[in-house]
Amino acid sequence: MSLFQAEHIAVSFGGVKAVQDVSFTVHSGEVFSIVGPNGAGKTTIFNLISRIHDVDAGRLLFDGDDITRLPRHGVAERGIARTFQNTELFDGETVLNNLLIGCHVHRRTGLLAELAFLPSVRRQELGFRRTAEEVIDLLKLQHYRDHLIAGLPYGVRKLVEVARALCMRPRLLLLDEPSSGLNPEETEDLGFWLDDINAELGITVIMVEHDMGLVSRASHRVMALADGALLTIGTPAEVQRHPDVLRAYLGD
Amino acid sequence: MRFIRKTRYAQDIALFRHNGQRFWYALLGVLVVAAPLALDDFYLGEMAQVYIYAIAGIGLMILVGYTGLVSLGHAAFLAIGAYAQAWLLTRGWPFPLALGGAALLTAATGAAVALPVMRMTGIYLAVATLAFAVIVEQVIVHWASVTGGFSGMLVPGADFAGMDLASPRAFYWLCLGVLAAALLLAANLLRSPSGRALVAVRDSEVSAASMGIHLIRTKTLAFGLSAGFTGLGGALFAHKIGYLAPDAFTLQLSIMLLLMVVVGGLGSLHGVVFGAVFIGLLPQGLALLRDTVPPAVAQIPGLEPGVFGAILVLVLIYEPQGMYGRWCKIRAYFSEFPLYRRATYKRQKRYLRTERLQ
Amino acid sequence: MDVLQLLISGISQGCVYGLIALGFVLIYKATEMVNFAQGEMMMLGAFVAITFINVLGWPFLPGVLAALAVMAVVGMVLERLLLRPMIGEPHFAVLMLTIGLGFILRAVAGAIWGGSPRALDSPYAGKVWQFGELVVGAESVFIVAGTALLCLGLYLFFRFSRLGIAMQAASQNQLAAYYVGIPVKRIYALVWALSAVIATCAGVLTAPVSLVDPLMGLIGIKAFAAAIVGGFGSLPGAIIGGLVVGLAEQFAGLYLPPGFADMSAYVILLVMLVVRPQGLFASMQHKKV
Repeated sequence: MSLFQAEHIAVSFGGVKAVQDVSFTVHSGEVFSIVGPNGAGKTTIFNLISRIHDVDAGRLLFDGDDITRLPRHGVAERGIARTFQNTELFDGETVLNNLLIGCHVHRRTGLLAELAFLPSVRRQELGFRRTAEEVIDLLKLQHYRDHLIAGLPYGVRKLVEVARALCMRPRLLLLDEPSSGLNPEETEDLGFWLDDINAELGITVIMVEHDMGLVSRASHRVMALADGALLTIGTPAEVQRHPDVLRAYLGD
Repeated sequence: MRFIRKTRYAQDIALFRHNGQRFWYALLGVLVVAAPLALDDFYLGEMAQVYIYAIAGIGLMILVGYTGLVSLGHAAFLAIGAYAQAWLLTRGWPFPLALGGAALLTAATGAAVALPVMRMTGIYLAVATLAFAVIVEQVIVHWASVTGGFSGMLVPGADFAGMDLASPRAFYWLCLGVLAAALLLAANLLRSPSGRALVAVRDSEVSAASMGIHLIRTKTLAFGLSAGFTGLGGALFAHKIGYLAPDAFTLQLSIMLLLMVVVGGLGSLHGVVFGAVFIGLLPQGLALLRDTVPPAVAQIPGLEPGVFGAILVLVLIYEPQGMYGRWCKIRAYFSEFPLYRRATYKRQKRYLRTERLQ
Repeated sequence: MDVLQLLISGISQGCVYGLIALGFVLIYKATEMVNFAQGEMMMLGAFVAITFINVLGWPFLPGVLAALAVMAVVGMVLERLLLRPMIGEPHFAVLMLTIGLGFILRAVAGAIWGGSPRALDSPYAGKVWQFGELVVGAESVFIVAGTALLCLGLYLFFRFSRLGIAMQAASQNQLAAYYVGIPVKRIYALVWALSAVIATCAGVLTAPVSLVDPLMGLIGIKAFAAAIVGGFGSLPGAIIGGLVVGLAEQFAGLYLPPGFADMSAYVILLVMLVVRPQGLFASMQHKKV
């Protein structure tokens, strides 16, 4: 059952065709990876989905709804969360506060209620805290709970970024190069967490990745791009053997 | 050393961390409420002024400290609040309604200002607020039918809950009460999703938007709330000074409000109160100083702003976390004695990173 | 002829704004700090020139050169004492620091030279030249000529030295600049000295037109508007922005009711910020995520 569909999307920046006529479908509950050499347009596609850029052509459908022209905050409200290639955390805050901000989409109270800190607000705060603690338990961030982001090591920051996205309880999670900057052990841990997120929490994942080991291990299907154009979609094994993909990575 | 053992999430949400804090704040509360019984009218007036500055400072702190939007023209909101209060009173509004009305009017103006400045950042925003303040000043001068222009406007006397506001005691308790309410509202804001949204917008607009935070709404909220609190302070300020004229709300006042927030400690409500006490006491301190230095020094034009400037510079270089930061360090020293290490608070050497890429 | 007269006043006043704006932009390009005390540097420079020329009796040109030298040193000292510790701090903190610096400089000037306005003895004060019906004050001509010369000098300096690129590198990523061997601290000192010199030129050029007193630096805010109009990263933009503001002020005084002329700089500023914040010449870049 398809959760997300991109139909013939294209975008250019100046004269550069960053993405040309790319179409793909992501099924509910799967882990879908996007691979390709640098400049292939992978992060651009994420930016199109989370509405940082506008598409020049094509449509994006999430669970049947057209999200091509949604405002940026609307994407999160639909249940799509994303992480960024260079972590975009809230540097002046603690890890816990970052996660609590991640719960923002589930806010049901208005400004006046919050100014008065009515019991409904208090209940909501406790609920958010519970959600954040569950995510902390899942990703083992207890030690860092009250640390400011500014002093954290890089691997932990990437993890906090994923944790923050999980607090949104999304249906679709976009991970942008989650293993970049991580050592092999941390990458292996990431593989386990991906399994947990996908199997236990039932979250569909679209992942941009360079680490082919992680891709093979964790993904159900893979899409290969080069220079903004779609090369092929298939299982990790199929894609790795595809002649166009080999040509894109290794040359003729 | 105090170890706080947390067993419930509610402890993290609460306004006071532990019973020791509750005790000290309660003591402080008793002292300030009982102050009129011990102090004479002059000091009551000074303390009321400190409270008014603090209320205005809460507004500025919300904008600068929490949302990261610098305002060099906040005296304009003070002016709007003051003039609105005076005008509403002359129209016969009862005092509590006038106070609320003045605050709401100022909040609306603030929200309106937010719209054109929505996409501005950093220095551009600061200068835009400066320009806004100048324009407000000109409007006050030229809209003489409402504001009395250069000749100014008398603030009508008022009474509230049976007490005449001209009485220093009544006015003191009023300002204290409004400050307590304002602090409570601000503290509630900051521990709720709206407050966190402000901070998120400050730290990373891109990821705030991808978390579902509505950027336009949040910035408008920040400006509106900030203006509202400052306008409330302005309305009380009107009663304090009794007679409104455009030259009571100058650029220097805007800078002084910023000074208060920075010197007090950016990023905390405690900082606002510390800063307000500092700003309130500074003219008295300077007056005392003037008596002790030779007349040649005392007569220097621009001495008071010069001293402000010097203090601001020293605080920014040597104690960027302000008075509250220094207070926290001192407290940590005593509570961790003899294990306190200076390195805990040592600032890392930082290198310039461009902010031009937004 | 009225219009032509206004044109001349607008251009000469605009040149003064432009010179101060040039100082702003120079410091910003190199250090990404905004120096709100640039107007006060101008004021200080004018006072120092007065000391050399009026008080000590030096002839005009040597007096001006001495003032430039003194102010260059002052600029470097201020940078070393106040701005060096602030490197890496958020930009808003530096802004506040320079605002405080402005207050301090005003008080210092008031202490040394007193608060009453003084005039600078210049050899061309009061001279006028007549072109048919057009009366042109010699001061205006010298302001424009002086600005043009200064701009030419700066252009040559940046064109034929590696300083310009080094400046930009140091402001975009200081750590990386250190790594490639750019003497970052020396550049900062140099840039502040240069800014102080430019501000002093502005002060000396405008002193015959407007009297010198501690509050004359407040036109710095209008000069700031000029810098924003021109675009904060562009040196020629600063001058052009200054001209725009200067001319707009004069013509607003003619065509609009009184009181609006004073506001016109701020209105232009706000319009520019809303419509095209990067100014006429600079370009703002967006962060890639």
